[in-house]
Amino acid sequence: MNGTLLEIGPPAAREERSGFEPVVVAIVCNWCTYAGADMAGTTRRAYPPNVRLLRVPCTGRVSPLQVLKAFEQGADGVLVSGCHPGDCHYVHGNLVARRRLAILRALLDFVGLDARRFHVSWVSASEGVRWARVVETVTRAVREAGPLDAWSPRDGEEPVRLPEPPPAPSPPASPEEQEAVGRNLRSLAASLLGEGRVTVFLGYGEATLPGRAVPLLATDLAEASALVWNDRCHSNLAVYLAGPNRVPGKVAVVLKACDARAVIGLQQEGQLRREDLVLVGVRCPGVREEDGRLALKCHACDGEVAAGCDFTVSADGVETGAARSAAPRAVAPDPRDAAIAFLEGLPPARRWAFWREQFDRCLRCYACRAVCPLCYCGTCISEHHRPQWIPASIGPRGNASWNAIRAYHLAGRCAGCDECTRACPARLRLDLLNRRLALEVERRFGYRAGEDPSAAPPLAAFRPEDPQEFVHA
Amino acid sequence: MPAPDPASAPSLSREAPGNGNASPFRPRLFRIASYRDETPDVRTFRLERADGGGPLRWRPGQFVHVSVFGAGEAVFTLASSPSRGETVECTVRAVGKVTEALRGLGEGDVVGVRGPYGTAFPVDEWRGSDLAFVGGGIGMAALRAPLQWVLDHREEYGEIVVLNGARTVADLAYKDEMGEWGAVPATRVVRTVDPGGESPGWDGEVGLLPQVFERLALAPQGRIVVTCGPPVMLHYMFLALGRMGYAPERVVTTLENKMKCGLGLCGRCNVGRFFVCTDGPVVTWARLQGLPEDL
Amino acid sequence: MSTAFDRNGSWSLDAADLRAWIGGLVGSGARVVAPAEREGLWTFRPLRSGEELALPAGFPAWSPKEFLFPRTETLFRYESSGGEPGLEDPVREDVPQVLFGLAPCDAAGLVRLDAVLGADPAYASRRALTTVVTLACDAARPECFCTTVGGSPHGEEGGDLLLVPSDGAFLLRPLTRKGTELAAGASASWAPATAEAWERARARLREVAEAVGRSPLAHGFAEGLERRFGSRAWQQVGRRCLGCSICTYVCPSCSCFDIQDEGSPGCGRRCRIWDSCTFGLFTLHASGHNPRPNQAARYRQRVLHKFSSYPLEHGGVPMCVGCGRCVRLCPAGLDVRETVERVLAEGKEPRHAGP
Repeated sequence: MNGTLLEIGPPAAREERSGFEPVVVAIVCNWCTYAGADMAGTTRRAYPPNVRLLRVPCTGRVSPLQVLKAFEQGADGVLVSGCHPGDCHYVHGNLVARRRLAILRALLDFVGLDARRFHVSWVSASEGVRWARVVETVTRAVREAGPLDAWSPRDGEEPVRLPEPPPAPSPPASPEEQEAVGRNLRSLAASLLGEGRVTVFLGYGEATLPGRAVPLLATDLAEASALVWNDRCHSNLAVYLAGPNRVPGKVAVVLKACDARAVIGLQQEGQLRREDLVLVGVRCPGVREEDGRLALKCHACDGEVAAGCDFTVSADGVETGAARSAAPRAVAPDPRDAAIAFLEGLPPARRWAFWREQFDRCLRCYACRAVCPLCYCGTCISEHHRPQWIPASIGPRGNASWNAIRAYHLAGRCAGCDECTRACPARLRLDLLNRRLALEVERRFGYRAGEDPSAAPPLAAFRPEDPQEFVHA
Repeated sequence: MPAPDPASAPSLSREAPGNGNASPFRPRLFRIASYRDETPDVRTFRLERADGGGPLRWRPGQFVHVSVFGAGEAVFTLASSPSRGETVECTVRAVGKVTEALRGLGEGDVVGVRGPYGTAFPVDEWRGSDLAFVGGGIGMAALRAPLQWVLDHREEYGEIVVLNGARTVADLAYKDEMGEWGAVPATRVVRTVDPGGESPGWDGEVGLLPQVFERLALAPQGRIVVTCGPPVMLHYMFLALGRMGYAPERVVTTLENKMKCGLGLCGRCNVGRFFVCTDGPVVTWARLQGLPEDL
Repeated sequence: MSTAFDRNGSWSLDAADLRAWIGGLVGSGARVVAPAEREGLWTFRPLRSGEELALPAGFPAWSPKEFLFPRTETLFRYESSGGEPGLEDPVREDVPQVLFGLAPCDAAGLVRLDAVLGADPAYASRRALTTVVTLACDAARPECFCTTVGGSPHGEEGGDLLLVPSDGAFLLRPLTRKGTELAAGASASWAPATAEAWERARARLREVAEAVGRSPLAHGFAEGLERRFGSRAWQQVGRRCLGCSICTYVCPSCSCFDIQDEGSPGCGRRCRIWDSCTFGLFTLHASGHNPRPNQAARYRQRVLHKFSSYPLEHGGVPMCVGCGRCVRLCPAGLDVRETVERVLAEGKEPRHAGP
């Protein structure tokens, strides 16, 4: 499918049509639903003509890119339909698909392409009647949702404003404490580099702009003497451990609690050799924005050093292994969850309005990808051009597809460090997309990313009893 | 700009890229008149103007952007000499999105062409000189236009040697034409394939192209070497030419950087102060030595 | 840069005058683009009324270049339903536009863009319809370095009118005929500016100019950088670069683009899209060869183009206006001033080496 299979027609022309007839793209399994649809036809079972069929060998083959492409090219709704659980021609393709489609559905719903527009069903080769009923239900729902014709912000549309986040649950660390941590980091770096245990000590240094810290790749004692620690040490340095930005050699890396989850994720996905790394955990007081506010990701985090770290650095000194503090930092509910709940309390059209405005701002600079430790692919899906899944043009549809597919690809993997959101020059709330999917993965599959390097990735696995309340019965 | 070298001297014509207010990116329509397979993945297309406009005017060495609508544009050096008439030929290896889409087209299909762009080979300045054309693989496509030009003006040039090399016999382009080239008086054609690339009955040379060229032991005096090929071949070719005593000013090549606009605007082919699309693609080895190693 | 202010033919305006003026321009069908805020993010946006004009405004996160050089621009449409392709030029929707409240660096950035894209008909057509109202800076940000690259916080380059903050109000002076014409419809109701007001404003502008960071970019950096193409410092600095394109997309003077087809073989468009030399794909050949194989090499290209190869070819004018956005927004904390300083501090190295 390269943008040619879905000849739905230019969206502009469709906007001129008078009576609204929804266009529904149905991506169906060759072995069951396709035959079921055929059965509906041969038995003269009438159903709405709004559906365009796209036949695939198995729902396990269905990519979210196909769904996004359908919406981007003018579909008002998408239906994915395959074999009943247990009946898969390839044993369990549909069970893996069920997990992925559940996550995709949560994502689409969260951006405002709600449950009326995206449907999943199981229809077997003999269920022509059932197929006709599903198509009727789906078409009715899509008709109710209306044409999906607004991709840019509408002129004069009232912007959706998110609620103000609550105050920080914990006070900032004192400058003396921060300096003490910095001193301990410098001394650890000096010994690791001096003894030749590492060739690079990856930490933070002073930025050229006041009140900032930047990544510092120290390779000798002189460079290590410039290491600092403060609550502006935002960067997730795990980004330098894998993928195109990997720093070669034996590397010691300074990790906050959130950063360490990314390292565990990379380890889990076979992207780094643990024995080449020295993990230096820092007991983190939370990082702060330019205006002094605690970063949203830090409200619910106690800043304790992640299990598996080789050293724990705090104001008190350097300890071997991951050591817990006597008095962990006070925590509060995650304010990102409050923002998510606020958006989910809005009608889908308002959610779509919020994200349309967000995606419209996107410059497609790919800073979100560049700063993300888990975005290590040599060739990003946005760079594939045969087929061109994600439009290269910087515009509403391509921007929506890009941000959606990035969030999807991070589902069950995102470490929650929010670096994408901090780096974004257009301040897109990518943290909310990632967090929403993390919550969905946790709720459905009982899995949290970045905790166990030996766990199976949740979207490459399945359980027969995975919930499927969203599938048309 | 530094002192212009002969290959990029402004005396060589550069057709204005657009006319009036029309977008300089809007191509003219050409029809595929015919095509011929050179190797399993290399095809030469003959293109004729299809939109009623006048013929393309170009100089050997200049390039065009060819469009397959829906796939995009790709850059090809014009592989035919204007001395062979108005029909344009491009020799294309299917390696990317556009070139593979082009391969999917047939006779009568319409493509877009814009150009020509860039500098040409200084064929006027070569008059009276002996010439050696050394092409590696698809690189020979870039040398075919100046080669045809000098063969068509045979009396104006000295001895001509053509060294056409490829990895294997199957990969050798212009197999059918080499006999014709060699039949021109005082013109010698040497075919070579990489070691292991020969097939039964192969009667050409075997060896890496720079080595074969060195074995030919062509005296540098009064000779100009025109060469094109993959980066690694050019690297060793220049080493060989240096050993043989060729002056960098007497060695001419053509650069194959990635280009998008052809107008010196999009920035893609920029290397140091040099824009391949407007300052090149034809350059002397001497000019190349003055560029940062960013090619 | 000229700092000589002409006291003749200038006016003193308050915010209400400015809003009324802009309201009139919007009412006349012009697109008026000015800094506007949303969720704490300042960007240039078209205003719907004079009342929307934000005063004082924040410094927009990216330059206004997209109003002359859109992020994506259709070059032509193609259609070959059932036969031969037909090509159709895009409908030009160019309207008179006013870019209002540009800092002098952003106004100068348009002149840098002109030097590259001025030959492009679509750009030139929009540019001809554009009038620029520059707003002199009343404070310097830590990342500012306009004075090092030939600019000034009250620079006139690229502006058609210069607006200068003055005791809570503004002084306005036309710089070009276009600027005079833009003011002509409204200036009858404005008070003439007094010599004293200009005197006070000028004193303040001098203070701001003094506050702009003294960048380490030394005289003659272009030649020095060119000689140090092979310096090891490029690798040491550039390895931090993560390969996004924030620096180029927010830059007032970066103008590289890609050309892509969108649609099916039967129907679609060819468009040009912002692109960046910091992307690996930028120079990747179809064969797989990439002449700039790593991020340090790509970062070097960007810095050298701005501070060395471009100025060496264009009378010493850098392809940078010192707005400092790339410094502020780089997620890896790269500061082009520091990079240039560090490279220049290295001894002369061979040109054929490096990343």
